[in-house]
Amino acid sequence: MLPCGVFNRKYSQDMAIVRTRHQWGILIATFLLLLILPSFASNYFLSLINFISITIIVTLGLQIISGYCGQISFGQAAFMAVGAYVSAILTSKLGLSFWIALPLSGIAAGLLGIIGGAPSLRIKGFYLAIATIAIHALVMWFVLHSQVTGGVSGLHVPAPKIGPLIFKENKSMYYIIVPVMVLLTLAAKNLTRSKVGRAFVAIRDNDLAAEVMGINVYYYKLLAFFISCLYAGVGGSLFAHWMQMVHPEQFTLIHALYYIGMIIIGGMGSITGVFFGVLFIRLLDELVMFASPPLAAIFPWLGSQPAAALGVVAFGVVLLLFLIFEPRGLAHRWEIFKVTYRLHPFAY
Amino acid sequence: MTEFLQLIINGLIVGSFYALVGLAIVLVYKATHIVSLAHGQLIAFGALFFWFTFAVLELPLWLSFLITAALAAAMGFMIDRFALRPLIGRPLMAAFLATFAIFMVLDGIFQLILKGLFKVIPPFLPVIRFSIGDMTIPATGLSGFGISLVIFIGLAVFFRYTKLGLGMRATSEDHQLAQGTGISVKNIFSLVWIISAVAAAACGIILAATTDIGYSLPWIIVKGLVVALFGGLDSLSGALVAGLLLGVLESVGAGYLDPIVGGGLQDVAAYIMLLFILLVRPYGLFGQARIERV
Repeated sequence: MLPCGVFNRKYSQDMAIVRTRHQWGILIATFLLLLILPSFASNYFLSLINFISITIIVTLGLQIISGYCGQISFGQAAFMAVGAYVSAILTSKLGLSFWIALPLSGIAAGLLGIIGGAPSLRIKGFYLAIATIAIHALVMWFVLHSQVTGGVSGLHVPAPKIGPLIFKENKSMYYIIVPVMVLLTLAAKNLTRSKVGRAFVAIRDNDLAAEVMGINVYYYKLLAFFISCLYAGVGGSLFAHWMQMVHPEQFTLIHALYYIGMIIIGGMGSITGVFFGVLFIRLLDELVMFASPPLAAIFPWLGSQPAAALGVVAFGVVLLLFLIFEPRGLAHRWEIFKVTYRLHPFAY
Repeated sequence: MTEFLQLIINGLIVGSFYALVGLAIVLVYKATHIVSLAHGQLIAFGALFFWFTFAVLELPLWLSFLITAALAAAMGFMIDRFALRPLIGRPLMAAFLATFAIFMVLDGIFQLILKGLFKVIPPFLPVIRFSIGDMTIPATGLSGFGISLVIFIGLAVFFRYTKLGLGMRATSEDHQLAQGTGISVKNIFSLVWIISAVAAAACGIILAATTDIGYSLPWIIVKGLVVALFGGLDSLSGALVAGLLLGVLESVGAGYLDPIVGGGLQDVAAYIMLLFILLVRPYGLFGQARIERV
């Protein structure tokens, strides 16, 4: 629903993402804030933003495959690992530049995603979810047991650079990660509004009906897997260069479960929902991190380092509450809020 | 040849544990059509309860068993009552994801209790080893195998000959029709969760007797999923056959192929088998071919 006084006079107006002057104002203000943020924000805050941005990239991919195309995938962490390792190997062993390795790792993860998504041609729903768990396990087994990937010790990754500029700190990596995140968000937003996005939604809602309408279900499912894993690969590559190391422990099944939880909490089938979900979970994690030392002091039976375990508990409880009480996620609440705000003195 | 037989025996023993995990999943699926990940934690907590009563409180063996079963039953009941009953009528995927949320919650609590250490249960099963020729059969494993078989037979009898069992079979056929004949579907769901929780706890106790209680114990549920899918999600006998098969396959596969591929095959054998089954026969060996083709 549109704010009062805004009308669709032309097709281009109907399709525009940014509709009102207020929205333009907020958008420009946000970009300006993002631009100048590193000059006064603390290192900790910047690293949090970097981490959140990378998670948003990976989760956008998952949203496309699970939220839009309806194929629940537990393989996102594994494809992120593929991107991270491809990027790490290309830069550290073959000496390629980061700027070439970044798209290459995305494409490599995407191509592997097509293979990983092949079971979706025969099975769906819960069975596919289990198949992606198996794919995760196979990828991680290869990572752990291969010579190229460094096995359990992982790999060291060089920092990206342009000429004399070396992107080594959170501050400089911020200027790579955040623009990529913004671009990929725009791409995802537009993809989901295009013919491809509508085909995904049709497959999600009823694959038989989609096929009858003339949508090539096989092609679009594999395309969805390709795009989703491309996002995961790019996210993984950024993650590797930001951390300057890759390690199998960074891509466990728990991470994949977290990504799924994020899109559920944010709202399935909504790009805005990705932002809500990722921010919610990452900030919840930070909250637990801050709250756990005092908690451990009050309740000694929690042990000295309860943060990780308490984080998992908090995540599980929140996810369960969302599944029971708000299965459409925070994005749905946001829509309700927007409508109420625009109608304000009136009920409808 | 002896080596091969030894590998098969080891595989059968491990496989009987897998079969129990699969059994817990199959039990819930049969009645409620929900695939539960939460049973991984029920296994772990069953082992923890037993460790607490038997090793910490030093209660007699039979009392520890009883208390463990009661606590596990209470856990199963509460999961059903507070997490899954509100989701009745929603898409099954939501219930599946809810069990995974429960898995996460309990996993955190499990880690808090373990604090990165192992909990060791003092041996309560006979520790001798039988030898036949060159082969050795650990008595712990053998009694575990026996307990699994007893549970399987007991449940089969329960489903076949009791009125409650009949009610459960009716519920698994069709919820609404079962309700129409006067069966309380809600109560059946609760009961199924209680029974499967006790089966999971039994599995946890046996596992804890052969290995210690460690961080990775709940993740055996993934093996259980493979077993349940392989045997057919709605088939008890399928779970037994598939569990034993998976155990043998892992043991033999790892025994012969590990030197070639560089180790770790035991961990992925199950997944390779899973992918193969899902692609070739998604409804499992003994399951009803109800799955929709895409």
